[in-house]
Amino acid sequence: MGVTQALRQGSVEDAVDGVVPPVVAVPERPEELAQVLAAATLDKQLTVLRGGASKLGWGRPPDRVDLVITTEKLNALVAHRHGDMTVTAQAGMPLTRLNGLLAEHGQHLPVESAFANATVGGIVATNDAGPMRYRFGTPRDLLIGVTLAMTDGRLVNAGGTVVKNVAGYDLGKLVSSSHGTLAAIVDVTFKLLPVPHASKTLVATYADGKALAHDVAVLHGSQVEFTAFDISLSDQGRSLLLMRMASSPAATDAQASQARQLVSSAPTMVSGEEERALWDEQIRAPWSEAGTVVRFSWLPSNLAAVFSLFDRVRANGCRVAMFTGRTSGAGFVRFEGEDSVVAGAIGVLRSSEHVGHVVVVRASRRLKEQVDVWGPATGASEVARLLKRKFDPAGILNAGRGPI
Amino acid sequence: MDPRIVKLFKKAIGSESVLTDPVQLVTYECDALPHLRSQPELVLLPQSAADVQAIVRICDTEGVPFVARGHGTGLSGGALPVPGGVVISLAKLNRVLDVDIPNQRVTVEPGVTNLEITRQVAPFGYYYAPDPSSQQVCSIGGNVAENSGGAHCLKYGFTVHHILAVEAVLPNGELVQIGSSLPDAPGPDVLGLVVGSEGTLAIVTKAVVRILRKPESVQTLLAAFDSISAAGSAVSDIISAGIVPAAVEMMDAVAIEAAEAAVHPNFPSADTILIVELDGPSAEGAELFAIVESTCQKSGATRVEIAQDEAQRSRIWKGRKAAFAAMGRISPNYYVQDGVVPRTKLPEVLGRIRLLEKREGLRIGNVFHAGDGNLHPLICYDERIEGQSALAEKVAGEILIYCVEAGGSITGEHGVGADKREFMPRMFSEDSLDVMQSVRDALDPKRLCNPGKVLPTPRLCGEVPGPYREHPVERAGLGERF
Repeated sequence: MGVTQALRQGSVEDAVDGVVPPVVAVPERPEELAQVLAAATLDKQLTVLRGGASKLGWGRPPDRVDLVITTEKLNALVAHRHGDMTVTAQAGMPLTRLNGLLAEHGQHLPVESAFANATVGGIVATNDAGPMRYRFGTPRDLLIGVTLAMTDGRLVNAGGTVVKNVAGYDLGKLVSSSHGTLAAIVDVTFKLLPVPHASKTLVATYADGKALAHDVAVLHGSQVEFTAFDISLSDQGRSLLLMRMASSPAATDAQASQARQLVSSAPTMVSGEEERALWDEQIRAPWSEAGTVVRFSWLPSNLAAVFSLFDRVRANGCRVAMFTGRTSGAGFVRFEGEDSVVAGAIGVLRSSEHVGHVVVVRASRRLKEQVDVWGPATGASEVARLLKRKFDPAGILNAGRGPI
Repeated sequence: MDPRIVKLFKKAIGSESVLTDPVQLVTYECDALPHLRSQPELVLLPQSAADVQAIVRICDTEGVPFVARGHGTGLSGGALPVPGGVVISLAKLNRVLDVDIPNQRVTVEPGVTNLEITRQVAPFGYYYAPDPSSQQVCSIGGNVAENSGGAHCLKYGFTVHHILAVEAVLPNGELVQIGSSLPDAPGPDVLGLVVGSEGTLAIVTKAVVRILRKPESVQTLLAAFDSISAAGSAVSDIISAGIVPAAVEMMDAVAIEAAEAAVHPNFPSADTILIVELDGPSAEGAELFAIVESTCQKSGATRVEIAQDEAQRSRIWKGRKAAFAAMGRISPNYYVQDGVVPRTKLPEVLGRIRLLEKREGLRIGNVFHAGDGNLHPLICYDERIEGQSALAEKVAGEILIYCVEAGGSITGEHGVGADKREFMPRMFSEDSLDVMQSVRDALDPKRLCNPGKVLPTPRLCGEVPGPYREHPVERAGLGERF
């Protein structure tokens, strides 16, 4: 390929849904990454782009993978302009490491991932986000610039390093949630937020979903500004509301007492280490045990209907082991049971008018062969396919696996 | 235009919706960047998405270029007609289709004005956050096209952060739903691409927007400084204290003088004034506002004035928002520029602008969103003096180069449009621009959808660059420039 120093033989550890790639490219420079892509295009090598491999299983099961390109050595901090509250990092920079570096200046990228080794390129490519999206949005909302390696070997830029900028097409948005189907992300620039001086979380427990849904509606209509506002439902039938306030110390307390008055059950308050552990558990809960994990979304007013759907799923013999989500209508559920039963549960969600974008993100290969992990195409996917033909004319990127 | 094609349009949407009278067409020659003008062959006034589709299909089949237009308040010539082409005015698609308070979203047609959304939801305690200063008259369709900002985008983001979904007609006439009221649609974020594409990729026929709960409190202060660097250090210190104000605005002496002459906001006479607004929960406001006030004092503020009520707050904002139009009071003509620098580079770039002012002998007023480094230099000149128009344009262009050299952008909110495409190569490599062109070609292979905008091409004949002139909307007092 002309860049042999960046190549090694693939091993079982590099397998993509059980398919071992013969070659793994480990570029150390952006130009190398671009050259590898150009060579792969010429040779029609079916290519999977990999960051921390934390979400590598997301997608349809591949028949063939010729090449994996990893950004593990493209992981530098390019610039933290702390006075301007922006950062540029190479795609392979782990999110946790980035936030560690930013914390030295009291700043952070307010995005959480369930996965310890998630990279900044990976969170953009999958639009992976945790509870703080309630306040700050997903990576696409914080992304202000990108460098991309195109399949023809060119390195291109879009956006920039300033928080306000409308020059040119926003290719950064375009590759957000593209799941490695359009181009390789080389580096990303984000706007940053100050780490709040204080943080507290209220936890309210409910015996039934109806009371919880009622409280969610009341709190949505209030003027309390939550940093995160989450639901958690385990199969023991206990449902929780998690309300995080993070601001100046007095304001955090004032908002907590305001929220407390609006909740129908008596909530408990946590802070410090206990609060951090609570949220870590909340983020990781859907993934913490074996089972099929499904990402889906709903309109906030349909939350009670979501709980009813789970009742239907349970009645069909499928275990709804864990459901966590943002009250704004985005979450993950873990189903446990025989493949056919879980496939039925996915069918229940997909046929409901109350939920949408039902995507199977973790499942056995056998189950993935039974149900389309991405679900039905949308109007935007038609447009995305037109773009795909321009960006990846040889059709090598995440071929057959990605959403387009 | 070939009468056969005119007949096709009339048959498709009705004769009364096709304007051919040259007198009527004059209105559509330009948007709020009046120095770029071009007469359209026809103006079409669709009443529905189906009409838009029918028009675009005819354009596609017959090879007629088309330009979508909202309410004509754009500041970069994004709605400039194309010679031989038609203008599709979305003004009649102006219905509010759905107000869904529990799910905090509103569905509107593109001709609905920005402020109308807030009017619809205000009784419920909600508002629509993006607030370009033309918000009384500008259309949501235009906001989507330009990814409009406003004074409060430091905290609340731009239009792209508040649009959940659009229905749009693609350049081939197909009607598609892009995005969804539900989050986490898998696949590339096409919605994020379309918002801010300046009408070059699709024509939006419906938008679902996110509305926000009104903050519990809003507090505003005005601080006077005797140097721009003192004001700048106050801004840095506020932000380093971990405070994200809703707005941070700065005006220099020239802009203060103009605002005073026009709307008498009773600004103190100073070298620089800073306006800082915090919003959010009352307890947060009370605690942080005290820090903002003491930070201004520590940075050497000569005077700090805190708005005690809504009337005082409105007066401060009136002075700020009137600054552009007010330049007319102190200069026969002026040129409005829109550029961005990293916030920490503000003093350096403003220093360069001061030197430029001296070197070229034109007065330059500065009004800007200091929190996000978005500059709006106002270059004063007199077109009756031979060569001054051209000089003002040259000066405006040089300021953009300073912005790019400082690591910024050639436009923070007005868009590239027809006005700044020649500056695009200063920000983006040839390869980057080529990939952007390929995005366009994917959706508009015949290059009929708002051609000549955003990406650099040779200038169209008949276009003469020139000075700022007051837009009819401004003259009527319905909107101001930001």
